[in-house]
Amino acid sequence: MRICILTWEFPPRIVGGIARHCEGLARALAHMSHEVHVFTLDFPGAPDYEELDGVKVYRAVTELGHPNFLTWALLFNHFLEKKLGAVSQQVEFDVLHIHDWLTAPAGVSFKYRVKKPMVLTVHSTEIGRAQGLHNPDSFAIDGMEWWATYEASKIIVTSGSMKGELCGHFHLPGDKIKIIPNAIDLTKYNASIDRQWVRQRYGVGPNEKLVLCVGRLVPQKGVEHLIHAVPAIAWRHPEARFVIVGEGWLKGHLEHLASSGGHGWRIRFTGFLPDSEVVALMTSADVLVIPSIYEPFGIVALEGMAAGVPVVASQVGGLAEVVEHDRTGILVYSRNPESIAWGVSRVLSDPGHSQWLIKNAREMVQKAYSWEGIAKKTVEVYKEVE
Amino acid sequence: MSQEVTEEFRLLCMLHNIGATKLEKSLSIQEICEWTAMETSSVQFHIQKLVELGYVQPTEAEGTGKYHLTPNGIRKVLTLYS
Repeated sequence: MRICILTWEFPPRIVGGIARHCEGLARALAHMSHEVHVFTLDFPGAPDYEELDGVKVYRAVTELGHPNFLTWALLFNHFLEKKLGAVSQQVEFDVLHIHDWLTAPAGVSFKYRVKKPMVLTVHSTEIGRAQGLHNPDSFAIDGMEWWATYEASKIIVTSGSMKGELCGHFHLPGDKIKIIPNAIDLTKYNASIDRQWVRQRYGVGPNEKLVLCVGRLVPQKGVEHLIHAVPAIAWRHPEARFVIVGEGWLKGHLEHLASSGGHGWRIRFTGFLPDSEVVALMTSADVLVIPSIYEPFGIVALEGMAAGVPVVASQVGGLAEVVEHDRTGILVYSRNPESIAWGVSRVLSDPGHSQWLIKNAREMVQKAYSWEGIAKKTVEVYKEVE
Repeated sequence: MSQEVTEEFRLLCMLHNIGATKLEKSLSIQEICEWTAMETSSVQFHIQKLVELGYVQPTEAEGTGKYHLTPNGIRKVLTLYS
């Protein structure tokens, strides 16, 4: 099949899970001998066109701007559409696959132009991300999300919780939505890592415990609840040291929160790190905490499981589907520092049990979350709408 | 959301949406004021902070200071919408 993927983030333009998802899916589809064309936005240092393992990647340059985000989003869609139009002179696509509302204007318009079916993957919703609709932009985004689901022939979501959210909020028929989980590239986790050297670089000594948190520093990731849990964790495990990886608009607030609680010296913020460094840290950590309050899937849980670190995650959304409590990880109450502290302590206090969790989690990831399997299921959806 | 975005982050977002995301699209303080309708002193104050935090890169062009977002600055902005 000739597959056209539209996404506003694709490596090296990495914001959240969408970039990793689109990269993994595109590579797996190309590996299955499909012709895959990815249309995305430019990023400093990235070429306008390149081929990655058989995937053709086009990066559109947005030549006009506007201070308002929504206006800017509509403008970049115009430039994406222009790029699509140029390529479609040479390539006849069989299916169009867009990711989230951000590329919906270009996708819907292109769908009518080339008269091909459009599949939409909803990675999250505005009402979930913002925990409500609080301003005119939020209402507009919510409307565009509904419009994209209406225009799509089929919708893919990564978890049952996301399907429930779409059916409830947008009143969509359940049979229009297919659940296909995220996956990860397990080969990334085969590299030999010098754990002591990695820990040393982040100021964690050989007799200390590295508690890791990886995610965008935004409210829905719940990092403040982990910071509030630090005193209780430190009381039970004085050797605990915390490394928080990620960038986000809440970073200043979280750094202030961490430094004002008396345990600031235990907590280190690294900012954005490249994938290889995140893998090295995950492989070297004693526990990975995912304190999210909203998480449609939670690909970071799979990454932790593949890296062989025990996962402590909030019992919300997709995380509650990925992590099986006390078998492949530990589930804790969302927005509850005491529960997070309990979960971390459960892992740190019982190395034997932790090793058992790691073993079970690895087996599960290998069995159920490979890109090859996910790409096959995605092609089945493409064939249904073709 | 209980936390509000800061003024400097709001400016960072506007710089991003205007298109100041690479060297050749750098903007002077005056141009930023025109785009954003912010006071010069306010723009200067927040830009200085954003430079210190590593989210904005200053450059010198034709004797004028110009500014554009770093890759980390771009990523930070996008977290607001992702």
